[in-house]
Amino acid sequence: MISTARGISSLSLLNRRARDWLVGWWRLLYLGAMILVLALSPSSYSRPSRRVLAQHIYHNTAPNLLGFTLMCALITVVITRIVIVTAISYGLSQYALQVVIRVLVLELIPLTAAMFVALRCAIASGVELSQMRRAGALEALKQRGVDPVRHEVLPRVTAGIFSTITLAALSCVVALVMAYLAVYGFTLSGVATYTRLFGQVFNPEVTLIFVLKTLFFSLAVSLIPMASALYDSTAPRLRASAELRMLVRMFAVILLIEVLSLVGNYY
Amino acid sequence: MSDSKDTSAGTGRPPPADELGQLPPVANLEFKAVLLLVFMAALVIGSALYVLYARGLFESTQKLVLVSDDSEGVVVGMDLTFSGFPIGRVRRIELADDGKARIIIDVPTRDAHWLRTSSVFTLVRGLVGSTNIRAYTGLLKDPPLPDGAVREVLRGDTGAEVPKLIAAAKELIENLNSLTASEGAVAASLGNVQKLTERLNGPSGALGVLLGNEAEAKKLIATLDRTNSLLTKLDGLAAKTDTQVFGAQGVMPEARATVVQLNALLGEARTSLKKVDAVLVEAQAVGANARAATDDLGTLRGEVESSLRKVDSLINEVNRKWPFARDTEIKLP
Repeated sequence: MISTARGISSLSLLNRRARDWLVGWWRLLYLGAMILVLALSPSSYSRPSRRVLAQHIYHNTAPNLLGFTLMCALITVVITRIVIVTAISYGLSQYALQVVIRVLVLELIPLTAAMFVALRCAIASGVELSQMRRAGALEALKQRGVDPVRHEVLPRVTAGIFSTITLAALSCVVALVMAYLAVYGFTLSGVATYTRLFGQVFNPEVTLIFVLKTLFFSLAVSLIPMASALYDSTAPRLRASAELRMLVRMFAVILLIEVLSLVGNYY
Repeated sequence: MSDSKDTSAGTGRPPPADELGQLPPVANLEFKAVLLLVFMAALVIGSALYVLYARGLFESTQKLVLVSDDSEGVVVGMDLTFSGFPIGRVRRIELADDGKARIIIDVPTRDAHWLRTSSVFTLVRGLVGSTNIRAYTGLLKDPPLPDGAVREVLRGDTGAEVPKLIAAAKELIENLNSLTASEGAVAASLGNVQKLTERLNGPSGALGVLLGNEAEAKKLIATLDRTNSLLTKLDGLAAKTDTQVFGAQGVMPEARATVVQLNALLGEARTSLKKVDAVLVEAQAVGANARAATDDLGTLRGEVESSLRKVDSLINEVNRKWPFARDTEIKLP
């Protein structure tokens, strides 16, 4: 009798967890769609909203530019050097540059940019929103007739997307320049060959996958912390904190996007 | 922060209720934000333009179609090289109706002058690395290759040659193994050579090797001895013949005297023949005279015949007019 009751309770627990899991993902998708609609509607860009948006964009992006550029340049030089030296030792130097472009520009750098934005800005924004929610600020806004999603979530998400895309684009340019310098040195004689090689790597399919990957990275990094902050339960019954759960979910999504892009590129 | 607060107050919108959501104030915020937007747009647009440029979208090209029976290893985007420099790029690979692969290559117009009507194209697959399409132009003064030209590509496949080479080498090694095995042909030959050497060193020597056994060799030696004695006899015979034929009393002097006599006889005969010739000339003259006389005789005969006919006709006339010897007797049956 007791075992039957225990089985039923574990089943109901499983059921509740599965429902929570599905509801969590559904809320994430719903928030994404809502943000997309709000981002595309001109009414979201009134003068005060623009100012708030500009503030978030600036604070998410500008302080990271220099540090991220330096870090990116350093990583590129090191990895390029490793790949080139290894390739030369195996007598495959003609493929080294293509490998560098593929590994760095296509795969590693966009992922690094997304992780950087996530750790530096998006998670902080999520925590901030979560604290506002706990403090009742969002409820207060709602009671005053102000949509908290439009006023608090939209600028943060847009700033996160903007920051990820900017850093990804910047890091790609920096990686390309640094790889060129590491291989050819300070000369322009290799530009034609390098450009040709770049064109061979970036065929239409790879370019499309790269653009989509960067876009989805930026969405994942910006949306998941916001959705967790808005909808996750703050009850102390859960073992892991809301921030940790948000982080795990975000990493899972980023990993999924990366795997899908690899499948698209190499299968 | 003050900017945001001022603006919120100015538009009558409620500011965020919680100070947690506020960010530190930034001077010239809108300008900096626009600058960031422009920066991002420039990065994205510049990257897109660079990709398009690298893909060759801004250069005018001409089409070259290479036909091959196998396009394995050829991928879209790979280079067509001339003297190691890329001068074209594979745009598409398609299967033609005749089952051959058509490799469509875009050659930038500025590099097209390296390709001439006499250019040769090769598709080479190395053991390691990708396939290469190469162009070779021997005569750079030939007419330039026209747009959309279709050319056969020559294939050189190192990878495909390796299995054939290995199979041939394996066969060769097997043959060598079978030759050099203990029961093989080489060992047998060497054994035979050894036996041969032994027999050469034996009592019968090379003759025994040549004739197979010792008895035959002895026979040959006996034959040789007999041939020698025969030759000795022949030698004596030849000396005797010499005496008989060419000696003082031999056949040859007699024959020479006979010949002299024959010469004298022939001279006499020649004289006689000359006489006979003269007689014949005379006889010929006689013959000619006789021929003339014969002609005259013909004429005489004609005249005699005509005279006889006349006499006959006269007699007939006389008989008709005077029947001297008419037979009047009537014979009854």
